[in-house]
Amino acid sequence: MLIEAILLGLVGVIGVIDSRLIGRQNIGRPLILSSLAGLVLGDLTKGITLGASLELISMGFVSIGAAGPPNMQFGSIIATAFAILSGASTEEALTIAIPVAVAGEFLSIIMRMVIAQFSHIADRAIEDGKYKKAIHIHLWWSFIFNALVYFIPIFLTIYLGADLVASLVEQIPEVITNGLTVAGNLLSALGFAMLLSSMLSKKMFPYFLLGFLLVAYSGLDLIAITLYSGILAFILDRVIYAKKEA
Amino acid sequence: MEENKNNQITKKDLRRVFLHSLTIMCSWNYERQMHMGFMYGMAPVLDKLYKNDEKRKKEAYQRHMEFFNCTPQMTPFIMGLAASMEEQNANSEEGEFQTESISMIKTSLMGPFAGIGDSFFQGTLRIITFGIGLSFAQQGSILGPILAVGLFAIPSLLAAYYATFLGYNSGNKYLAKLYQEGLMDRVMHFASIVGLAVIGGMVASMVNITTPLQFQTGGTQLVLQEMLDTIFPKLLPLVFTLGIYTLIQKKVNTNVLLIGIIVTGLITSAIGIL
Repeated sequence: MLIEAILLGLVGVIGVIDSRLIGRQNIGRPLILSSLAGLVLGDLTKGITLGASLELISMGFVSIGAAGPPNMQFGSIIATAFAILSGASTEEALTIAIPVAVAGEFLSIIMRMVIAQFSHIADRAIEDGKYKKAIHIHLWWSFIFNALVYFIPIFLTIYLGADLVASLVEQIPEVITNGLTVAGNLLSALGFAMLLSSMLSKKMFPYFLLGFLLVAYSGLDLIAITLYSGILAFILDRVIYAKKEA
Repeated sequence: MEENKNNQITKKDLRRVFLHSLTIMCSWNYERQMHMGFMYGMAPVLDKLYKNDEKRKKEAYQRHMEFFNCTPQMTPFIMGLAASMEEQNANSEEGEFQTESISMIKTSLMGPFAGIGDSFFQGTLRIITFGIGLSFAQQGSILGPILAVGLFAIPSLLAAYYATFLGYNSGNKYLAKLYQEGLMDRVMHFASIVGLAVIGGMVASMVNITTPLQFQTGGTQLVLQEMLDTIFPKLLPLVFTLGIYTLIQKKVNTNVLLIGIIVTGLITSAIGIL
């Protein structure tokens, strides 16, 4: 099982390479990762058909912002491995894989918090004129850390047995898992607050509020906000500058 | 204006910007999201333009460490545009070019570009290509995964590649003209209105904070969040974002903020407020 565990861990790393290094060409989707998991376990056809089922289930999961869906990169690799190694059906494999996928998403939340610390180290490196170091932090520190966050749990789950890990995951108190989700959501406000701190002034506050209220009350999307605020800016431009020209 | 023809961005530089842009999500984090990826994308251009001017090089690097988030395939356009602005800055006397305009342009473009990019690449192209792939995969055919990725990756990479040049060229063509005609103040005013409105919209749509609090009064149950939704939807994300903004204005260390926010999340969730 050691060899299989390592190979499946590396399939997880391929998913990381896709999203981190080559601009997310969707190699990290369940269809592809399950096929690869099937390939390394010697049952490519089963991997592909399982991948198709998992892809259908997760078609709507797109990770945007902080509140992530179950991490289907973990989920699809574990479910495929479990189905092929133990002969379980897709549904049985999924009931094992979903708790692992949910736990995997919590690992990702913690990972994104840790990488925020990397940012600060990179800030300091640039302050000291060490640009290469800042680049290494972005590229290699983050990539290796990402890869480990995927490799280790997949490796351990396969090595120790998927059902054992699933039952362990269920032991994690809900207080912790819920708390981390809330913390992740709160943290997404920090990025926007930092962005505002360089742009917002008392005079400009109404425009920020306008965009906010339009979305909050009417659910418009960002393209609509851009167009509306563009028209507003155009009108204001006429009012302010056209007078000066005249 | 002192023209220094050494400070010229070439096709080769832009190709490197494109390659670097593919790693935009490598260091995605909660604080400034893709900001280090943007810095890395700009690095080949900045290293070349400011190779003899350490002070401005540092300022430029710091400029591109600001919050950034966009669709990976759309980002190279913004990088190309920013590159053309950096080129102008490098070829002007210090202080002549308003460097804030670079940040303004970045911020006002990332929201709408992400809106278009996400709905096209993840919403439309992915659904089509994976739909085709799935029909083969359900029969266990190896063509399934190959077609799904191949059909997606080729347009996705081509779009990102050409976007880099398109961004740079349109920057050169239009922004340079605006500068010469002294219209940059107006453009910046325009860009900051749109930029701030888009950030406001992002706070409402991407910061997800709700409360599970409920009250019993005279037999009826009051769900606080439902009340908030009718009176002032998304009030909590707004209050929270502006609260953190105030703390940043008061120069509270971001590490303290980061840890404070995590602890707040754990505690408020445990006692059932959030």
